[in-house]
Amino acid sequence: MMIRHLALMFLLAGGPAFAGVEEAVEDHVLPRMANFAVQAGDLADAAADDCTADALRPPFQDLFDAWLGVSHLRFGPLEEGGRALSIGFWPDTRGMVGDTVARLIAEEDPVLEDPDAFAEVSIAGRGLFALERLLFEPELADYDDGDYECRLVQAIAEDLAMTSDALLSEWRTDQAPALLSAGDPGNTLYLSAREPAQVLYTALTTGLGFTAEQRLGRPLGTFERPRPERAEARRSGRPLRNVALSLEALRELARALADGPIPETEQAFAAALEQAATLDPVFAGVSDPSGRLKVEILQQRIERIQVAVTEEIGVPLGISQGFNAADGD
Amino acid sequence: MTNRRNFLASFLAASLVPKLGWADAGSPAYLAAAREPDGGFCIFGLSGQGADVFRIPLPARGHAAAAHPHAPEAVAFARRPGTFALVIDCASGKLLHRLETPPGRHFYGHGAFLADGDLLCTTENDIETGEGRIGLWSRPEGYTRIGDIASGGVGPHELRRLPDDNLAIANGGIRTHPGRGREKLNLDTMRPNLAYVDPDRGVIDQAELAPDLHHNSIRHLAVGPDGTVAFAMQWQGDPMDVVPLLGLHRRGTPPRLAEAGLAEQLATEGYAGSVAFDQAGTLIGITCPRGARLHVFSGEGAFRNAIRRPDICGVAPAPGGFLATDGLGSIHAVGPDGLRSLTTQRRAWDNHLVRIGLSI
Repeated sequence: MMIRHLALMFLLAGGPAFAGVEEAVEDHVLPRMANFAVQAGDLADAAADDCTADALRPPFQDLFDAWLGVSHLRFGPLEEGGRALSIGFWPDTRGMVGDTVARLIAEEDPVLEDPDAFAEVSIAGRGLFALERLLFEPELADYDDGDYECRLVQAIAEDLAMTSDALLSEWRTDQAPALLSAGDPGNTLYLSAREPAQVLYTALTTGLGFTAEQRLGRPLGTFERPRPERAEARRSGRPLRNVALSLEALRELARALADGPIPETEQAFAAALEQAATLDPVFAGVSDPSGRLKVEILQQRIERIQVAVTEEIGVPLGISQGFNAADGD
Repeated sequence: MTNRRNFLASFLAASLVPKLGWADAGSPAYLAAAREPDGGFCIFGLSGQGADVFRIPLPARGHAAAAHPHAPEAVAFARRPGTFALVIDCASGKLLHRLETPPGRHFYGHGAFLADGDLLCTTENDIETGEGRIGLWSRPEGYTRIGDIASGGVGPHELRRLPDDNLAIANGGIRTHPGRGREKLNLDTMRPNLAYVDPDRGVIDQAELAPDLHHNSIRHLAVGPDGTVAFAMQWQGDPMDVVPLLGLHRRGTPPRLAEAGLAEQLATEGYAGSVAFDQAGTLIGITCPRGARLHVFSGEGAFRNAIRRPDICGVAPAPGGFLATDGLGSIHAVGPDGLRSLTTQRRAWDNHLVRIGLSI
C-alpha cells in the first residue's frame, strides 16, 4: 500500500508517467525475487535434511530456474557487495570456481563452520556454480553424510538462502519504494522520474545481450575452435534451459515495462524461443556446422529482439541504454 | 598553406579584446558536453555546484574539451575520427576558430594547453602509418598550426600538462583507420604506453605494462600535485577477465597497478571511462560506466570504496573530493560519505568533465 501511495503522489506531482515501472516492480521483480528466496530456502532445508548429491539435485535445479528469473536485475540489491557473482559466478574465464572448491576440500577449510565467515569466502567458492561442481562432478559428487563435502554443500546452500532473503528484504523495504518514488526530494537513489524506467530498460537490454553474447557466444567460440565445454552450467545439463528461461523472464519484463502493445517484440521473442526449442540441451551441436548454424540463428533472433525492444519500448519511453556505458571512448 | 587574411583578422580580434578572463564567462569551474532531449549537443560551463553557467550549442557530438588556463576559451574536439576542433569564446558563445587537422590526420578527441596557454597540443593519428602524433597550435598566432611531434606510440588518446610544462600522453596502443570507423586493427600486437613528451625535444620517457597486460589500453590521465600520473585503462580482452584498470606512475619508477576486490573488478567489465585526483591530491577516482560505479583509491593505489551510479562517467576534482556526471543528467558531489546529487537535468552528460583553471 505504501508503494502505491508513493507512486500516486508522484503522479499527482506531475511529470511524465512511467506506468510500466510499477508493473515491472510488482508483477515481475518482487514475485520472482520471492520465488528465488523460497527456492533457496527449500534447498537449504533439503541440504540440512540430506546433503547427498542425489537428494539435492532436484531442489538445485529448481533454485537455478528461479535464479534465471532474477539474474538480469543487476542493479540495486543484486549489485550490493558482489551478490550477483556470489550467487552465479559465470562466466568463469580463469577456472576460479573449480580451483576454489578444490582448495576448500583439500584444506578442509573450517571457514564453513560459521555462516558469516563463509560469506567472506571468495565469491568463486560460493553460489550455484560451486554447488554444481559438488552435486554433478562425478569425482566430487560421491561424498557421504559426514564428509567435508557434505558440510560444504550445506554451507553453500545456507549462504544462498541468506543472500536471497537479504535480496528480497532489501527489494521490499528499500529498492521498490525508491523506484516508485523516483524524483521525490528525499529519494537519493532515483533522481528523476525517468531513471527507474532507464534502469529497468538497461536490465532488459543488458540481459538480452548477456544471453546472446555469453550464454550462446561462449560455447560457440569461433568456427575453427568451438567451445561447448564453456556453456553455462553444462555439468547440470542446463545450457539451453538457462537460455530459454532467461528469454522468458526478459519477455515478462518487456511486457511489464512497455506502455503500449509490442507486437514486434512479441513476435521476436516467440521466434527466438521457437528456435531455442530446436537445439540440444547442452549445445554440443556447436562443434558441427549445421548445429552451429542453429545456435547462430538463435543469436540473430535475440539480436532482433533487441531491435524490437529499442523501437517499441525504448523510443516511446524516450530512454536508451546508458549514453556512456554504450558508447564511450 | 598560410591563410594570411584569417591570421590577421584573428590577430586584430584578439587585440581588440585583450584581457578577457573566465570571469567574463561567468566564472565557470567546469566544462562538460551533453546531449539534449532534442538530440542536439552542447557544451556547458558549470559552477562548482554543478549549476549551468553557460550553454553553447555544438554542431555534433563532442568528446572532451580543453580549457584555456586564463582566457575564457574552450577547445571542443569532435569524436574520433573527427578532423575538426572548435575554439569557442565562452564569454560570447561565438566560434573563434575552427581547427582542421592537416590532410592524412585526424584528432583522437583530447587536447591540452602548455606554455601558460600559448600552446595547444592535440592527440592525432597519422592515418597512413598509424603513428600517434601531437599537433602543436599557437594561440598567439590565432591557433595557427606550428608543427607536430611523435606521441611515442599508437592511438594517443588523452594528454595532460605536467607541473614541469611537459606532456603526459596516454598512447592507447590501438590502431584505427577512419576508413574503417572505430574498428580496432591491431589487437593482437597492440602495445600501449604512457609517454612523457617535451614539445621541443620529443619523447623523454616512457612506461609500459607487463606483456600479459598488453591488451590494457591506457586511455585517460590525471596528474597529481607531485606530478604522479594516474592512468585509466580499457581492457581489450575478454570483459570477464579480472584486470586492473588504474595505474600510477612516477618517472624513474615502474608503474604500480591498482585494483579492487574480485567482485568489484569483474563488475567494471574491464572498462574505465575517466580518471581524476581529488582536490587534495590524495585520492584517485576512476569511473566505470559499464559497471555503473566509481572506484576510489588512495594515492598509493589501495582500493577505498565503490560508489554505485548508473552511467557515471565524467569525474574531476572538487572541494572535499570529486564532482561526477552521468548519462542520466545528474551531477554529483563525491566525498567521504559517498555520493550526493547536486543537479538533475534532462540531458545526457557526455564522457568527460573538465576542471577549469586548476593548473594541473
